[in-house]
This record gives sequence, structure tokens and C-alpha cells, in this order.
Amino acid sequence: MQILSILVLPLIIVAIPLYGLLKKVNVYEVFVEGAKEGFQIGVRIIPYLVAILFAIGMFRASGAMEMLIDLLGPVLALVGFPAEVIPMAIMRPLTGSGSVGVMADLIAAYGEDSFVVKVAGTMFGSTETTFYVLAVYFGAVGVRKVRYAVQAGLIADFAGVIASVAVCYWLFG
Amino acid sequence: MLNYIWAGLIVFSLLFAMASDVTDYVSNTYENGTERTVILSFPEGASEAKRQNVQFRIPDDSGTDSDKLFRAEWYPSESGTELIIPVQDGLPPLWLEIAENQDARDRSQLRALVTAQVTGIAGVSIVLPEVHLIKMRAITAAAFDMAEFAVTLAIGLIGIMALWLGLMKIAEESKLIFKLVKVVNPVLGFLFPNVPKDHPALGAISLNLSANMLGLGNAATPLGIKAMEELQKLNPDKETATNAMCMFLTMNTASVQLVPPVTLIALLGVGVSELFYSIIIATFISLCTGILAASYYARKFPEQTVHTDDSVSETA
Repeated sequence: MQILSILVLPLIIVAIPLYGLLKKVNVYEVFVEGAKEGFQIGVRIIPYLVAILFAIGMFRASGAMEMLIDLLGPVLALVGFPAEVIPMAIMRPLTGSGSVGVMADLIAAYGEDSFVVKVAGTMFGSTETTFYVLAVYFGAVGVRKVRYAVQAGLIADFAGVIASVAVCYWLFG
Repeated sequence: MLNYIWAGLIVFSLLFAMASDVTDYVSNTYENGTERTVILSFPEGASEAKRQNVQFRIPDDSGTDSDKLFRAEWYPSESGTELIIPVQDGLPPLWLEIAENQDARDRSQLRALVTAQVTGIAGVSIVLPEVHLIKMRAITAAAFDMAEFAVTLAIGLIGIMALWLGLMKIAEESKLIFKLVKVVNPVLGFLFPNVPKDHPALGAISLNLSANMLGLGNAATPLGIKAMEELQKLNPDKETATNAMCMFLTMNTASVQLVPPVTLIALLGVGVSELFYSIIIATFISLCTGILAASYYARKFPEQTVHTDDSVSETA
């Protein structure tokens, strides 16, 4: 599977213009025409990204995370949820770089083969930075009223977090 | 909902920062204003009225070797004598924290004020810089830093986005995308009932989902944006998300992944292969839950009411 994922990109990048050429499309001109939009989209998502990222940055810097962990830890430990991975569960939907940091911290503290790292790694791999995706995708088309997208995304994240813990207990526990 | 979460993050960070700073103030965590004694040793024959490099020991600080010598600069001036202590190994942990969080811009040194000096005896009293409102300053700095970072991030996306949007335009002009739509329509048509059967949106969606599955993060984002643009073409109200957009977003945040993300591979090395099955199972559960949630909401808030009644989208 990993080999496939390395091969697929160059193949696609070559195959699309090649197919266009065979279909008598002016590939260069059309490519440039499409690529023009890249800049506009990049600029268009800036306000959305600023809004989301600065709020999350403040929240991280305020130390709220540590307090939440102190509060939630004992409660969640009762149902068998390892308290060490709470930072990952909270961080993952909020920030990509933040959750990479959490992952690195956990590896340093507990070692690569520990159960905690396996649970955190599964969480990391199975969910996405919901708020970033939301800001970029809706920002790119200028949609401001996102309706229930946040709730649905967070429900999916929540399911992913619970599933990660359960699956790791089942496979490695 | 996003309005509340967003405002909540900002308001709560202020509250938490205030609580933390008040706690620091009340318990005087950084021992502001406390006099400490250090034992100085001047080079032989040196005058105390001159600027010079000196060494000192910290006699009574628990946790620090009281015989260890530290470097510092003796800095007499008209407004009083300072002992400028560069940050160095072995300093008491609290001193290092003070250096890290002090008001002064230069964090690599501690400018301690010499408050009492007994002539002839090497012991002097010093007061370390005061530390105030750490978290308050931290959240302000974070807000500005992240605002800047957001722009860097967005600008960084431009190149790769242009590449994929160019390729997608070729795929569109050559009708390649419509061939793909025919293949994926039976599956995706079911999840996106409001998207016409032969619409290129389904092609872009399927490409984005495949890129996600293969762990190709930097291809997935531009393709996802392309899909959003196609979905926006079908949207009568350009400022409000459609059900199809919400479904697509949810599927993306659940992130269907068959190959672990590159960052995880970088962090865990070969150990990541152990997580292969656990990630697939967890991601599948989260995807199914997301799809169920999105279709539940789609039924609960039908699109028609959104265009006529603004309050639905406001509260949602």
C-alpha cells in the first residue's frame, strides 16, 4: 500500500496531461488557465484561517489544556480511558502542529512501544484537524454559514477517539 | 455552533489566563522581590567600582550544588549595581523560569539588582527581575503569532494548489473527469443525493477521498477545494453551506486513511506498521459515524428552510 501511494502521484501527474493531449486539448494553455485560480484561493482562505488559528493559538497558550486534562483525567480514567492520551484527543481536531507536538512528547515520555503511544498514534492517524479543514474548505468558496458541519465533524472525531481506545485495547491490550 | 465554539475559545483563554496569573500572583510563584544571597569572587586585585567578569556561588538554594561556580558580569552604574547573569547550565530551575518569562526583551540573561553589599565580605544580596502576567502576555503573543502563521500557511498552499487546479482543468477539458464520475456515481451518488448524476463535483470528491486514503495530504487539500468549488456551483445561496458540502466536510474530517499520514511515519518510524489495522478500523468507525450524523442533520435541517429562514443557519 505504501508503494502504491508513492507511485500514484507521478502517474497521475503524467497521465492527466497525456490523456488531454490524446484528446487534442491545448494542455499547456488549459493548465495555466486552471492554475490561475490557485492564487485567488490562497488569498481567499486567509481571513478564515486567521480567525480559526488565532483563537486556537490563544486557547493553547492560556494553559486551559492542562486544566482540562487535570479535570477530565480522573473522570475518564474510571471508564478505562488512558489519561495520558487526553491531550491528543483534545488537540487533534484543533491543530495539526499541536497534535504532532503532543505525539512527539508522548513518544519521548513513554517510548515507541508503549500502549499510550499506540492509542495516541491511532487517534492521530484516524482523525483530522477538523477546524483547519473547515476553515480551508469553506474559506476557499467563501461560505461563512457552515450550518451543522462543525457538529457532524466533531461527532466523527469523537467516534474516532473512542474507537481508537477500544481498538487498541482489543489489538494490543 | 461555530460562532459559539470560536467565541468560547477566545473568552475561555482569557479566563484561564487570568485565573492562572492570579494564582501566580497570590502564591508568588516567581518569588518577586525576594532577596537572595550569592557569594561573589572577584578576580584578584580588581576594584569593585569597575565593570568586570566575576564568578559566584549560590549558597542556600536547595537543589543546586552550592560549590558550583557560575559566570556573571559585575555592572556598577550611577543608578545602582547590577549583576548580569547569563542563562547557563546548573542555575536553579526557578531562575531559568524567571529568565524565560521576564519583562526584559533579552531572555538570555538575568539582570539582578544588587541591593546590599558588605564591603570586605564577598556575600551580596540580589533581587532577580520580577515576573508578571505570564499567561496574559502568552495569549496576546499567540494571537499575533498565529495570525501571521495563518498567512504563511495560506501562501504556502498557493503553489501546490495551482498545480492541482491546473491538472484538474485539463481533466475537465478532456472529459476525463466525467469518466471518473460514471465509475464512482453508484457509491457517491447515494451519499450526495442533491448532486446531479453526471456532475464533475462527484469526480473531484472521489479524487479527494482517494488522495486521503493514500495519505497524500498535499494532493488531498487542493482536490478537496476543487470539489468544494464544484459543489458551490450547485449552491443557490453562496454564503451558506449545502447538505452536500457538510457531508463532504464530515467525510474529510473523519479522514478515510488506508496509509498512515506522513507525519506519523516520520515520528514513529517502522513502528507505524503495527498501527496499520488499528488506524483503519478506527477511521472506518469514525467515517460511518460522521456519515450517519451528517445525514441525520441533513434530514433535520432541510435545505429549503435555510434560504428562507436565516435563523436556522444562525443557530446551527
